[in-house]
Amino acid sequence: MADEALFLLLHNEMVSGVYKSAEQGEVVSAAKALEENGRCITKLENMGFRVGQGLIERFTKDTARFKDELDIMKFICKDFWTTVFKKQIDNLRTNHQGIYVLQDNKFRLLTQMSAGKQYLEHASKYLAFTCGLIRGGLSNLGIKSIVTAEVSSMPACKFQVMIQKL
Amino acid sequence: MTVHNLYLFDRNGVCLHYSEWHRKKQAGIPKEEEYKLMYGMLFSIRSFVSKMSPLDMYAESEEMPRKDGFLAFQTSRYKLHYYETPTGIKVVMNTDLGVGPIRDVLHHIYSALYVELVVKNPLCPLGQTVQSELFRSRLDSYVRSLPFFSARAG
Repeated sequence: MADEALFLLLHNEMVSGVYKSAEQGEVVSAAKALEENGRCITKLENMGFRVGQGLIERFTKDTARFKDELDIMKFICKDFWTTVFKKQIDNLRTNHQGIYVLQDNKFRLLTQMSAGKQYLEHASKYLAFTCGLIRGGLSNLGIKSIVTAEVSSMPACKFQVMIQKL
Repeated sequence: MTVHNLYLFDRNGVCLHYSEWHRKKQAGIPKEEEYKLMYGMLFSIRSFVSKMSPLDMYAESEEMPRKDGFLAFQTSRYKLHYYETPTGIKVVMNTDLGVGPIRDVLHHIYSALYVELVVKNPLCPLGQTVQSELFRSRLDSYVRSLPFFSARAG
């Protein structure tokens, strides 16, 4: 139980740390602020990427080879998510053409924030790291992808994975 | 049997949260003054209680697990319950007279509600009034679910 709280608090501090270091300096206009926001989200996502790469190495050292892409996605939804967030992804959808949508109805990092609409605009900051986590995990399994996240109502969120065919 | 209202203070005297359920008479002063008055009173009572105690507080008292002394006061109409954590968060609840010791209730409010929903929420800055709707609604439903809370004011 303690390590769950540790990760949560550390993650929250990380997000606010990245944003604080970005907004140091002069007061920026609305357009620049949006750009800063994008830069911070990229930073967080890259952090998640590297962490995801390392984590997936650790988790798969004893498992068998994966049959195909769908198998890899199922692994991410079940074992990977369970080890990191202590629960599984609630819903996985695909169009069998490289797009997967992972839906988590009670995302661990958002449950404490609100149950509904309050703080919705801040939610994306807290999802960037996890997007990177998924992307890093997939990349070390040999899949290049783009991962985005959306939240319509806390604490449920959807991660969309687009596989890049080389 | 009912709960009248609830205050939540931090260690600097900032009122983090206040909600009321059955309050027939207001204090007659602005809310800010009321919070200051409540906090000041609690602060004074705590130091008074520890100074004037005829028994050594840190002795082998196992039935009083906490060493801080002041637990509650009661008047002819209501009872004020007090719970303080080592970090200085004070939970104060006014109930009517039929209610016994509710330390565990106040402890639950602190650990399961305040810590979970405010401390772990990065968008709730510590040391300021709590804005989180989730905290407010969970606290409200928790208090309403207590066995000594009845919709009809006692």
